[in-house]
Amino acid sequence: MWRKYVAFGRVAWALTVEYRAEILIWMMSSILMVIMLLVWLSISRDGAVNGFSSADFVTYFMVGWVVRNLTAVWSSWELDSAIREGRLSPLLLRPIHPIHNEIAANWVEKSLRLLIVIPVATAVMLITPNTSLVLTPLNALAFAASVAGAWVLCFMSDYLVGMLAFWTTQTSGFIQAFYGIRLVLSGMIAPLAMFPPAMQDVLQWLPFPYMLNFSVAIAMGRVQGQEMLLGFVVQLAWAAIVTIAVWLVWKRAIRSYSAVGA
Amino acid sequence: MRYPRLLALFAKSSLLMELEYRTNFIAQAVLGAFWAGVTFFSVALFFTQTDALGGWTYEQALVIVALFTMIQGVIQLVLQPNVTKIIQMVREGTMDFVLTKPIDSQFLATLRYLRYSGLADMAAGLVIMVFAFNRMNYTPSSAAIAVFLVLLSASLVIVYSIWLLMATLSFWFVKVNNLTELFNSLFDTARFPVSTFNGLIRIALTFVLPVAFMTTVPAEAILGRPSAANVVTGLALAVVLFAFSAWFWRRAVLSYSSASS
Repeated sequence: MWRKYVAFGRVAWALTVEYRAEILIWMMSSILMVIMLLVWLSISRDGAVNGFSSADFVTYFMVGWVVRNLTAVWSSWELDSAIREGRLSPLLLRPIHPIHNEIAANWVEKSLRLLIVIPVATAVMLITPNTSLVLTPLNALAFAASVAGAWVLCFMSDYLVGMLAFWTTQTSGFIQAFYGIRLVLSGMIAPLAMFPPAMQDVLQWLPFPYMLNFSVAIAMGRVQGQEMLLGFVVQLAWAAIVTIAVWLVWKRAIRSYSAVGA
Repeated sequence: MRYPRLLALFAKSSLLMELEYRTNFIAQAVLGAFWAGVTFFSVALFFTQTDALGGWTYEQALVIVALFTMIQGVIQLVLQPNVTKIIQMVREGTMDFVLTKPIDSQFLATLRYLRYSGLADMAAGLVIMVFAFNRMNYTPSSAAIAVFLVLLSASLVIVYSIWLLMATLSFWFVKVNNLTELFNSLFDTARFPVSTFNGLIRIALTFVLPVAFMTTVPAEAILGRPSAANVVTGLALAVVLFAFSAWFWRRAVLSYSSASS
C-alpha cells in the first residue's frame, strides 16, 4: 500500500509543480479570511470583543488559515468531472480504489502549500504583540491530532458530496453550497465564540466546528480538559460516520454506475 | 434603434438557452439565494457583538449588503458569462466571428450572453434592502432615490469597466481567469462600509480598486446623506474608467491576430 502511495505521490507532485500557477487561485480564496480579520480588528480596537482581544483575533485567523490549508479538499470536483466525462471507468479497472490516488494527491499539494503558509503565518504572529498561542507539548499533540481528525472529516465529507455526481448532473451546485455552509459554520469567517450562544449549543454536536474552530481553540488554549475530550469524541464519531458513509454509498453507486461517453 | 433591438434579441436567445437547461437554471438561482444568505449572516454576525461597523448601524450596513448582493447578481447576469466567453474566444481564435460582425465589437462581446440565474441574487438584494428599510421605518425621499439611481448606474459602469479591462488583458495573457478570481475575492470587501477599514487599505479600496464607489457611496445616497464630493468623484470615476476600458479594448482589437493558423 505504502509503495502505491509513493507512486501516486510522485505523479501528483509533477502535476502540482506543472500547474503551480493554480496556487494563486487558492491563495485568493483565503482573502475572505483576511477581510474578516480586518473587520473584527476594527471593532476590537476599543477593547476585547466577547473575550477576544485584537491579538487573539490575529492568532485565531492565522492558525485558522494554517488549519484551513491543511484541510483543504477538492476531490469532489475531480470525482464529479471524472464521472460526467466517463474518465472514471478506466480508474475502476485498476486494482486500487480511486480514492487513494486522491488522498496521495491531496497530501502532496498540501506539503507545497505549507511551504508558503507556515512562514507567512509565523511571521505575522511574530510581529503581533501578545499573541495567545499555548504551545505546551500536550497542547501541540492535541492540536496535531485534531487537525488529523479535521482532515479526515473534510476529505471524506467532500468526497461524499462529490459522489452525488453518480445521480445528478448538478453536483457543482451541491459542492458550492456545502462549501458555503462549511465556510460559515466551521469558523472560517469568525471564531465560533462570536456566534449567538443558542447556535453554539447546536453547532457543538455538528461536524462543522471540528473542521477548523476546534483545532484553533486547542492551539489557543481555549478548550481544555473534559471539554477537549468531549470534542475529540464528537470529532471522531463524525469522522467515522462520514468515512463509513463514503464506503457504503460507493458500494451502492458502483453497482448502478454506467459510464457516459468514453 | 438597432442596438436596443439587438439587445432584446440577445436577451431572448439567452433565455431560450436557459430554458434548455432548466434544472441548471433552478440550481444556480437557489445557489444565488443561498450565497446571499451567507453574505447576510457574515455581516449580521458582527452586530451581535457591536452596535456599529465603521460608523454604520446594523440596518444601514444591511443596505450595503443589499447593494453588494445586487451587484453580484449583475456580475452573474452579464459580466461573468460574457467575460468568460471572451477569454475562451481569444484562446480558441473564434474572436474573429465577433470582430467581423457589422456592429460595435465591445457591445457584442460584453452583452451577448445573459445568465438569468443572476436575477435571483438581485431579487435577494432587493429583499434585504426592503427588510432594512422596514426595520428603520425609513422611506427614501424621491430626491434620495434619484441620486441613488445615478450613483448606482455609476457603480455598475465602474464594475463593468473593470471587468472589461480584465477581459481585454486576455488578448495578451492567457491566464486571465486568475484575475477575475482576484476581483471576486477583493470585491468581498464591498459587503462592508468602506469606513470599516482604515489606513492604507481604505485608500486602496477607494482609489485602486474603487470598492467604495460600488456599494458604500450609493448606500449613502439612498439613506439620504450623500456627500457632494463622493457623488462627483463617483461619477467622474465612472466616466474615466469607462472611456479608458473602451479605449483599451479598441487597442487590443486592433492588434489582435487570430489564434488559429
